Amino acid sequence: MDFSFSEREEAFRREVREFLAANNPNRGGGAAARGEGEDDLESAMDRLPKLLAWNQALVEKGWVGFHWPREVGGGGGGLIEQMILKQESGKARAPMLGLSYMGLAWVGPGIIKYGTEQQKRRFIPAILEAREHWCTGYSEPGSGSDLASLRCSAVRDGDHYVISGQKTWTSLAMWSQWMILLVRTDPAAPKHRGITCLLVPMDAAGVEVRPIKAMNGETPFAEVFFNDVRVPVENRLGAEGQGWDVTKHALANERSSIAEVTAMVNHLDDLERLAKKCKSNGRAAIEDPLVRQRLARMKTMVEAMRLTGLRFLTKQLRGDEIGAETSVNKLLRAELEVEIGRLALDIEGRYGALVKGSPGAIDNGKWQRQALTWPSYVIGGGTPNIQRNVIAERLLGLPHDV
Amino acid sequence: MDFGFSADQEQLRAQVRRFLDSECPMDRVRQIMAAKEPHDRGLWSKIAELGWPALTIAEPYGGLGLAWEDLVVIAEEMGRSLFPSPLLAGAVAARVIAQMGSEGQQARWLPQAASGDLIATLAVLEESDDLSAAGVQLVAETNGEQVLLSGRKMFVAHAQAADLLLVAAREHGGVSLFAVPAHAAGVTVTPLRLIDRSQRAAMVALEAVAVDHADRIGAPGAAWPDLAGAMDAGTVALAAEMVGAADAALRLAVEYAKVRKQFGQPIGRFQGVKHRLAEILVDIESSRSLVYFASWAVDHQQDPRAAVSMAKAYASQALDRAGEEGIQVHGAIGFTWECDAHLYYKHGRYCRNLGGSPEYHHERLLVAQGL
Ligand SMILES: Cc1cc2nc3c(=O)[nH]c(=O)nc-3n(C[C@H](O)[C@H](O)[C@H](O)COP(=O)(O)OP(=O)(O)OC[C@H]3O[C@@H](n4cnc5c(N)ncnc54)[C@H](O)[C@@H]3O)c2cc1C
Repeated sequence: MDFSFSEREEAFRREVREFLAANNPNRGGGAAARGEGEDDLESAMDRLPKLLAWNQALVEKGWVGFHWPREVGGGGGGLIEQMILKQESGKARAPMLGLSYMGLAWVGPGIIKYGTEQQKRRFIPAILEAREHWCTGYSEPGSGSDLASLRCSAVRDGDHYVISGQKTWTSLAMWSQWMILLVRTDPAAPKHRGITCLLVPMDAAGVEVRPIKAMNGETPFAEVFFNDVRVPVENRLGAEGQGWDVTKHALANERSSIAEVTAMVNHLDDLERLAKKCKSNGRAAIEDPLVRQRLARMKTMVEAMRLTGLRFLTKQLRGDEIGAETSVNKLLRAELEVEIGRLALDIEGRYGALVKGSPGAIDNGKWQRQALTWPSYVIGGGTPNIQRNVIAERLLGLPHDV
Repeated sequence: MDFGFSADQEQLRAQVRRFLDSECPMDRVRQIMAAKEPHDRGLWSKIAELGWPALTIAEPYGGLGLAWEDLVVIAEEMGRSLFPSPLLAGAVAARVIAQMGSEGQQARWLPQAASGDLIATLAVLEESDDLSAAGVQLVAETNGEQVLLSGRKMFVAHAQAADLLLVAAREHGGVSLFAVPAHAAGVTVTPLRLIDRSQRAAMVALEAVAVDHADRIGAPGAAWPDLAGAMDAGTVALAAEMVGAADAALRLAVEYAKVRKQFGQPIGRFQGVKHRLAEILVDIESSRSLVYFASWAVDHQQDPRAAVSMAKAYASQALDRAGEEGIQVHGAIGFTWECDAHLYYKHGRYCRNLGGSPEYHHERLLVAQGL
């Protein structure tokens, strides 16, 4: 074991810090930087021009798509440098390392692995430069956890596919230019084999988007209807019938991005600050033994997530593939997401009831948003029960239940 | 950055595994549990031949000069087999001698400890079970050329098998440490009856036991910081052992869940069963990460307390859950003496408070981080 970094890696860390000091839009204070108020969707939209400048500065460094191969326009960087970059930008509370969130997290990796040369040239640069945003069309009203039962269909008509059906819970659908879409192309095949993956422009004729409001009052996702939407065959990602493999690859990427720890580390710092400034029974909450036990347990879980991430990273560096293992941290994060919000509101006491904009609201309602937004991380990307199935079946070898 | 074991360490793990599988399978463990002997001398001399007691002792003193993370590899496999042995207690004692002892003291004890001819153990805790320096109340009184030790130690690991006790005593308002032959006049070792029979511990009474000033390890009244540091290293080894035991309990339950059929199917197909087992794997992988890191931290960090506390707290959770669920998955068979499930459960009950409970370590974590 060796937890030190090489001279080159340390030099890279310094370079990242200098870059952040000059380009991080959250530098020099601001509520987001102090951890007192989250970037909710609305404020992110307000800050769009600043965010685009940030993205551009990152692109010039080759730090968007950091470990993607250089041939496709990625940074060609190593996994350790990537970790350093994420750590430092997390610490500096910088925005995400690239704005095209789904494009970077799993659509891009999917295109790099399964796409044609033409698709790589067409889509990757726009993802890197945040000119195009992507949404993900997997879930349907009748197909959630049992994703492979999906029914939205595509029928071949000459050199086009004609899509009809419905998707739902499609995050960011209303702001995206493209969708990575799963459709059934062969209703006669076994359910996992009849699925194909298509790349669909959201402005195609016959695509209709109806936003859905969530329990936190924001509108993060939408229903998407396809009324005989035509897309050319060259928009197919992978072979016909290969959609499930493409998705498994994408889901592993999605889970590992959810399983990342930087956000949790920042949450903990903020929680610590909260526990120092809030009073409970006449003393600072941080002195309350029950709060201390809960806080320490959370810290321990976050540290475990961090270290397990490093252990799996080492495996990757040694050339092993990481698959079902990412479910370990995904499950841990699910528990943490709920407990962080619960503990924060418990610490705030009566003030825990006050949301953003209220007189007396603490940290501009950040923790209330947390307590109302955890399902995004807990349910999105596969529910805890599904992660438990994955772990039980793929890591412990227990029989499939369905 | 490299958070994994080296090829050498993996080889060591495989060697330990092979040895324990062939020399100390569970029926052998059960024999040792039932035996009256303080420990199994035959197995001890075999592991001494393999160099396990020498592992972390420096080369000039006949050791192999390896790191604490290497010991943790052995500890995890020991836990998997519930291998009853004074090995870890001896490693902690050797660490104390190496860190605090004079050159003469090291030359006197370490070569014998490395060869396995001398088994040493720490005698620090007393009836208060207070893990801080304040818990050390046993009296050291200077009497001319000698020091007289009087008091009682509790929970002394493997004292029954020990040749040498490293006894913490109150002196000059601080804590001093003395090397006391276990068979010295005035020393009485009374075995404790433990819930976990794979372990051994004793109450040790000292009645005006006379030692020389040369037997004092470290400066008078100033032993506590180094002693506490070595005990932390011991806590990490214990946590590694617990992770191994938890994993063994889990695997036993998983194998049973694959073959036991009810309602026409293996019970491992029911989510009430498989999901609990999946969560236990998450606990085990998480505590493994924390334990491995802590094993590195005790050799490389100025203040590894936070890493140690996190490892111990989480390992307790993993073994508690694995031990309990291991019984439940087996149904009534899990309640029988014959089924091994209870052995892991009992080990969990015993280890939970050994070296500090999860609650103790949660509190200590925050203190170590300045909160
Ligand atoms: C904020 C948010 C954003 C999302 N974004 C997207 C997106 O961009 N694109 C997209 O395609 N989807 C998206 N989703 C959908 C998400 O992937 C699904 O919600 C999720 O897979 C669960 O499906 P479901 O909601 O239909 O629940 P269901 O599958 O109906 O599950 C309901 C409950 O039953 C349990 N359950 C189901 N099957 C089993 C089983 N076999 N064993 C045990 N328990 C079971 C589940 O754990 C859950 O508790 C998003 C969801 C959320 C909350």
